[in-house]
Parts: sequence; C-alpha cells; structure tokens
Amino acid sequence: MESVVSLNAVSRRYPRGVLALREVSLDVPAGQFVAVMGATGSGKSTLLHCAAGLDRPTSGRVHLAGRDVTRMREARLTRLRRDRVGFVFQSYNLLSELTVRQNVALPGRLGGPRARAIDDVLAAAGLGGLGGRPVGELSGGQRQRVAVARALVTTPAVIFADEPTGALDPSTGAQILGLLRTAADLDGVTVVMVTHDPAAAAWSDRLVLLRDGTIAADGPTPEAEAIADRLRGVSRVAA
Amino acid sequence: MIRQALRRNPWSFLGPAATQCLAAVLVTAGLGLISSFDRAPLDPAQRRALTVSGVGDIGLLFLMTSIYLSIIIVGVTMSATIRHQARDIALVRAIGATPARVRRSVAAQAVLVAVPATLAGVPLGLLAGRAWVAGFVSHGIVPAEVTFRAPGAALPVALAVTAGTSLIGALIAAIRPSRVRPAVALAETAAPRLRAGVPRTVAGLILVAGGTALSVLIADLDAETADQGGLFVMLAMCVGAGLLGPALLRVTGPLLRLLGDTGSLAADTVAVNAKALSGALVPLTLAVAFTAVTIVRGTTTTHVTGIEAPAADRWLEFSGTGAYSAFAAIAAVNTLVTVILARRRDLAVTRLAGGTRGHTLAIVICEALVVTGTALVVATAVAAATLLPLLHTALGTWMPWLPASWLVTGIAATAALVAAGTVLPAATALRRPPIEVVG
Repeated sequence: MESVVSLNAVSRRYPRGVLALREVSLDVPAGQFVAVMGATGSGKSTLLHCAAGLDRPTSGRVHLAGRDVTRMREARLTRLRRDRVGFVFQSYNLLSELTVRQNVALPGRLGGPRARAIDDVLAAAGLGGLGGRPVGELSGGQRQRVAVARALVTTPAVIFADEPTGALDPSTGAQILGLLRTAADLDGVTVVMVTHDPAAAAWSDRLVLLRDGTIAADGPTPEAEAIADRLRGVSRVAA
Repeated sequence: MIRQALRRNPWSFLGPAATQCLAAVLVTAGLGLISSFDRAPLDPAQRRALTVSGVGDIGLLFLMTSIYLSIIIVGVTMSATIRHQARDIALVRAIGATPARVRRSVAAQAVLVAVPATLAGVPLGLLAGRAWVAGFVSHGIVPAEVTFRAPGAALPVALAVTAGTSLIGALIAAIRPSRVRPAVALAETAAPRLRAGVPRTVAGLILVAGGTALSVLIADLDAETADQGGLFVMLAMCVGAGLLGPALLRVTGPLLRLLGDTGSLAADTVAVNAKALSGALVPLTLAVAFTAVTIVRGTTTTHVTGIEAPAADRWLEFSGTGAYSAFAAIAAVNTLVTVILARRRDLAVTRLAGGTRGHTLAIVICEALVVTGTALVVATAVAAATLLPLLHTALGTWMPWLPASWLVTGIAATAALVAAGTVLPAATALRRPPIEVVG
C-alpha cells in the first residue's frame, strides 16, 4: 500500500548547530493513526513540521500524499497542504475574532476544495448551532473542535496534530481524539499526532518513540500504562 | 508594568513617538516664526506692512493649527497603542492592580514616550523654522532684515503640547480596560465587542452635524472669518468621521464581497477590525482633506478669475498645508502599520490554513482598497463642506474646479499611502515561515 507520508533519511539541523533530527525514516500508510512520542527536545515537533512541509529538512527526502515536497516551491507546497493536509495545533491557531463558520470556511475561501458542506462538518464535530459564534467566545474544547472541523472540511489525505489535547482536560481531550479516530476509521484519513500524554497516544494504531532525534521504538500501540513505561524508559536513557 | 509594556511591543510605541516628534517639530517651527518676526530689527513702516498684510500673524495661526492637529493625531495614535495593551491591562487587573493604578501606569507611559520624542523633535523644528524663514525672505514676503531667531520657550511649550495630547489620548483609551471586570476584559480581547458604543456614535453624529452647521453658517460671513471657521469645520468633521468609522467601514466593507472569495475574507476581517482601522481614518481623512481644500481653492480661483496667483502666495499656502498634510499622512501610515503588525499571528494562521503568500497578501490589499475608498469618500465630503462656503464667500461660486489629472494623482497618492501602511508591512511579516510566527 502506498504511503501517504514518507520520510527518507531526514535530518534537520538548526542554525545554531543543534541537530534536531538524525536520518529519520518513517512510512505511514493510508488510514493509519500514528502517535509520535518522546521527551521534550527529542525532535517530535521537528519531525511533524518536516513531514507536513512546514519546515524543510537539511538532508533526506519527504513525500506527502504521493508528491516529493523536499524541494517543492513554497506556493505549490502551500496549495498541496491546503488541498490534501489538515492541521490541529495545541494553541488552536484559529482566527479568534471570526465566527466558527468563517473559520471552517477558510480553506475553501483560500481556493481549497469545497468537498463537504460546512454544516455537515460542524454537526459531525459536535458544533451544530455554534456556527455564528465568534471563536474567541468558545471554550478550549470547542475551539479545538473548530480546528478539527477546519482540518476535515477539505477531506484531506492526512491530518497532522501537534499536542491537540495539550491544553484540554482529559474528558474534553478524549472527545477531540474520538473525532480524529473516527476520521481515520470512517474516512480513511491518515493521522500523525505528536503528544506527550500516554492516554492520548493510546487512541492510535502505531506508536513511534523518538530519542535525541532518532526513532528509538516503532510498533503497534500498547495499552496506556505500557506506553507510559516505554516513554519513561526512553526518557531515562536520554537523560 | 510600564517597562514590560515598552519592551513587549516596542513597535506599538513607534506611532505615538513619531507623531509626538512631528508635533514638536511643527510647534517649534511655529514658535520660531513668531520669535523671528517679533524680534526682527524692522522700522515702523515695515512693521506696519507686516501687520496689515497678515503675514505677522502666520506664525501664531500655524502654531494654533499645529496644536489642534496634535491633539487629534497624537491622541489617535496613542489610544491605538493603549488599545493593543487591553489584554495586559486585564491581566494586571486580575492579579490585583486597581483601576487608578492602571491609569497611572498608562499616563506614565504616555509622558515617558513624549519626552524623548520631543527632545528629538525640537532641534528638527529649529532647522525647519530656519529654512522656512529663509523661504519667506527669498520669496519677498518679509524684508531681508528678518532672520531666524530661536524661540526661548520652544522646549517647554513643545513638551507641554506632546505630553498633554498623549496623556489625553492614553487616558481616554484606558477608560474601558481599566474599569471593566478583568474576566470581562480578558474575554473581550479574544472576541472584541463589534458594535460601536452608543456614546461614540452620538459624539460622532454631533461633531459631523456641528461641522455641517458651521459650514452653512460661515457661507454667509465675510471671507476672512469664513477662512478661520473652515479649519474648525474640517477638524470637527474629520474627528466625527473617525468616531463613526466603524459604522462607515461596516457599510463599505461588504462591497469587497463583489471581489469573490478573497474579497469576502477581507470583508470579514474589516468588519472585526473596523475600530482599529478607523483610527487610521482620522489622520488619513485630514491629510486628504487638507491637501484637497488648498489645491482646489487655488485651481478654482485661477479658473474663475482667470488670474494665476502670485508665486509667493502659492508658496505660502503650500508650505503650510504641506506640513499639516505630511504630519497627518505619517500618522495614518503609522496607525495602519500598528494594525497590521498586531495581526501578524492572524496572517500566519491564514497561511497555515492553506493561504499562499500571494493569497494572504491579496486579502490585505483588498482591505487597503476599502480603507482607501472610504477615506477618499469621507475626505471628499469633508473637503466639500469646508471649501464650498469659502468659494462662495470669496468667489461667489459653488462649483469647485480641478483638472482630471490632478484628481487621478490624488487618488493614486492616497492609495500609495495606504499601501505603504498595510501591504508593505504585511509583505515583510509574511516572509517569516508561518509556523515560526505562531510557534
């Protein structure tokens, strides 16, 4: 099966000489929900940014939705992201002064595909009836639902989620993870999620553990308690 | 808190500092003109000629106009800066700062910015005054015996004007964030109140109505009184238009929807940013209206009477108006830059949602279009209200006259001004990768 996200020996060195990723290779098939975990500074956010075409690797190749994005021009890359990729961030990254509906309509108005009716997406995300409210008035959980709805409205091939539950309480976080899980199961959307929360990672199919910019472990996701143990193991070695 | 405010948003104080500096330049130049004329070694006949021609009063007139303009323009830029601190103010209120303490801190910021700005402005004003007096002599408007004499009171007067005006602007802007409950204030910074307050709308309507009434009134008076009243018509209507700005932009903004998706996005943004953008509307309208009144009065007079005004008279008119217009134009650009820079994060979010750099910039260009259009329409109305009575009393005509090429140049210049304040900083902000900005 063809990979939706494919990293081949990707390294990323930051200007001050910090090597955040060392020759990382990772293939994610369609419809898989991958959790990427690791200690702070292990390179998980860099991995996500490189895989999503938000950052460029220093060396190695990145394929996204079947296209080589390693040296793709910025405007083309943006259009590819707009049409095929969705994002969910810890800090929501919504236009807080605009309404829920205006935020979800944003990718379409920026020229992206209008694959799904906005009302259907809002209803599926549990936002029915909130369409006219400014995002700034909503709770954190509701804002993150808006972010998920905005990511899903274009029917993307892949959603990248960077600590999507980091600012939410466990039960609100579970609702967001449920939305991502449903997208993977019902719509075949690939999900790549960076998290430090074992309970969040337990929703995934596959667990990738990072340490010092390399993949320390990669396999089917175990129970939450086992995840916590593995994470502790990786972190201790790193420290 | 003061130091934190200054350090967190150094660029947001650029607007007030620049306008205060310019206010100090204008005030110093005006004072310089007064002291140079007063202390010039003239014989009684020359002195009488100076008084009769009205040239002797130009310094005072210029000084007063500069002070009126400073009150408006420094006030507008300072209050825009304080508005950006609404969130910080809410936070310090939440951890126990009293409203009085917040007001003291805001007042201290206003004065603190005024001092260096004035110190920089006064020497520049002395240079400008020297050049200006030299211009008077070389155009033969005053005798060669008049030389530039530095005014003794320049620094205290300029400081009083800049500190006073920025204090007023800052305190007015701090009324709401310092008074409302912190929780409400925090919620409002995330989702600002969109409807303009009733007091604001009422004040705006009163000023516009007052300006119109004054305009009708002076149409039947003698030319000189009408001339002096005209200034107040313009000031009242510009401030009134600024107060009504959010309402005006909500009328003009939706026109952008005709431009498709990009326009619709811009229209949504204009609707939620209407208050901040109308801060730029006051100086922009002033700049355009001031220039339009002076130029159209000149061209119409020439057109009706068929006599070209003497070069010296034209120089006098344009040197004064040029200073006012430049002052207002710089304030307008500053305010627009502040508005755009405050939205850097929103621009980055738009890019993350799939907007290319060009697409995101196109949204900003659409916004610039609507601001330009609104300013031109309002300025035309203000200029007409100011100018028509003057034309009527001086020339007996109600018909202004302006060559089409001048009109086109004026529109292009206004558009360029708005673009410099919006498109340029947005293009610069968009050079950084969006993920770094939202980080």
